[in-house]
Amino acid sequence: MGDVPTLKLVRTVPEPEPAHRPAGPRPDAIRARRIVAVGGGKGGIGKSLISANLGIELARRRRRVVLVDADLGGANLHTTLGLDVPKRTLSDFIERRVPRIDDVVTPTGIENLGLVSGALDHLDAANPPYAQKMRLLRHIQQLDVDYAILDLGAGTHTNVLDFFLVADHGVLVLVPEPTAVENAYRFVKAAFWRRMRNVAQVYGYEALLRTVMAGGNFRSPVELVTTVSQRDPEAGANLARQLAAFRPRLVVNEARTPQDADVGKAVVAAWRKYFGLEMDYLGFIPYDDEMWRTLRARRPLLVERPDVRAAKAFAGIADALVALDLAARHEA
Amino acid sequence: MLKRLADQTLYEILEVPPDASSRDIAEAVERARALYGPGSIATYTLMSSEEASLLTRRIEEAQSTLLDPDARRRYDDLLGDRSGAANAETSEADAGAQGSPPARVLPLVPQPDREEALREAEASAEESWPLRPGHVAGASAPTSPPPAAEPPPLPARPPPIPLRREVSGPSMTPVPLPSVAQAAPEPIPLVAAAGPGGAPAPDATAWTGEVLRRLREARGITLPQLSERIKVTRHHIENIEGDRFGLLPAPVYLRGILLSMARELRLDGQKVARSYLERVAAATAGPGAPRPR
Repeated sequence: MGDVPTLKLVRTVPEPEPAHRPAGPRPDAIRARRIVAVGGGKGGIGKSLISANLGIELARRRRRVVLVDADLGGANLHTTLGLDVPKRTLSDFIERRVPRIDDVVTPTGIENLGLVSGALDHLDAANPPYAQKMRLLRHIQQLDVDYAILDLGAGTHTNVLDFFLVADHGVLVLVPEPTAVENAYRFVKAAFWRRMRNVAQVYGYEALLRTVMAGGNFRSPVELVTTVSQRDPEAGANLARQLAAFRPRLVVNEARTPQDADVGKAVVAAWRKYFGLEMDYLGFIPYDDEMWRTLRARRPLLVERPDVRAAKAFAGIADALVALDLAARHEA
Repeated sequence: MLKRLADQTLYEILEVPPDASSRDIAEAVERARALYGPGSIATYTLMSSEEASLLTRRIEEAQSTLLDPDARRRYDDLLGDRSGAANAETSEADAGAQGSPPARVLPLVPQPDREEALREAEASAEESWPLRPGHVAGASAPTSPPPAAEPPPLPARPPPIPLRREVSGPSMTPVPLPSVAQAAPEPIPLVAAAGPGGAPAPDATAWTGEVLRRLREARGITLPQLSERIKVTRHHIENIEGDRFGLLPAPVYLRGILLSMARELRLDGQKVARSYLERVAAATAGPGAPRPR
């Protein structure tokens, strides 16, 4: 049944009947720090720029932040911060040349903000073996910071999905263009189905889920939950509860028109209407020429042009994230 | 909270409270159409075409039922009965029987009731809206009294779609629309829309390519100028203005182009895009067939 790494990495909501919880460590019990994973399926939609600038915004609020370049095949987060390739990178940690991930955190020149640069020199680094990935995630969870921000790669590889799923805030970046929307939905659906399987594995009804899924072509989770409930009401109730905890946070980037700014709300509404699940809309970032100008100059937007609208938008996004954390702490 | 589209009440479809005013409901219908209608970017690849058309049908159902006071009362009564039953079910479940699946409440409009509502609405449409597609030949711009209520949506009707014009649309007034009707390839009747007396009448102007072309010319904008301003190749614009539906880009892209064109022409982009895309959908898919995504 459920292997230990999976148990550690699936965030689950507490069960009302503790008898059904499998014995094992409770990873969330003492952790106050937060993992933010920035993904979105498509490349070139601003994941790295959003990670970097959100990190700067939070660091300026006296939160201790580490940016982790988890785009293992195409790491470039250091460039958005205007840094040269750091001497120590993630590959030193993955290949155990250093014992702790703290040993590869590079200062960024911005107070409270550190960077773990992506693995650059190792050909296989994009697809680390399962055990290495688990070790990496475990160490990220143990980083002594307020926020670890993971900049994810493009695509829907299981490595990317697992980083997204382990995060407290899975941030879905979307540009109001059909191609980006298509990839974002593909990404978030893939993450969703993976989480579903993980949850079933943890709670021990994986076989039932597999049988049910083999028996029908389910397009929406609502149908699946209904069918599982008919076979096993308890499993169905558990599934429904766990799935409600799947709440991606949405950010719309490069909003050019007033309609674009509404795309975020529309996506949240459509997701709820069709998928029966919630998303939290963090806000939109207006398209701004300063974004690419500062990138070309290899200077972060929030450092170089904090006065422009796009830069100010990050304050709203950080506010929304912090508010979600406060609400979660309040519930706990 | 998990409910299938078919199981959501009409209020849930529109995401309004059950005691929403007609005005709120009319606005919610507009909003829902803009959100989920043909070419909506938010639903692109999220829903299958069957689901998209189910949602469209349910929005239409909400419009025809909830904006007609009698039909709404009947529907509310029915909903009251159902929710009573559902409450009983819930308390039973609370008492320890966890057996009922979570998503089983069915506030679907029962067929007879809905058909009745449709028949009634259609009957009233027959009386007050003589210019239904099909008997338009030779009809000049009518001076007959405006319809008392919005006729029900007629999803199965093929074009031509009657062209109606908002009496109070300030952005449209300088446009020589009557000449549009004269010069149009097929007889397009002009109907003055009902003012908001009683049931609100949604704007149903048919934004054909012809109308867009004339508007553009009336504003003194040439094709190359428009193409330059909205960064869309000239032949897309020509095909839109020529209603050459077969040559148009995919609805999601088309919608973007229409929004830009409408912005340049100082029109309500949402209405223009919706109207145009509905015509494209009707023409390319044929009545009743699932829409292309």
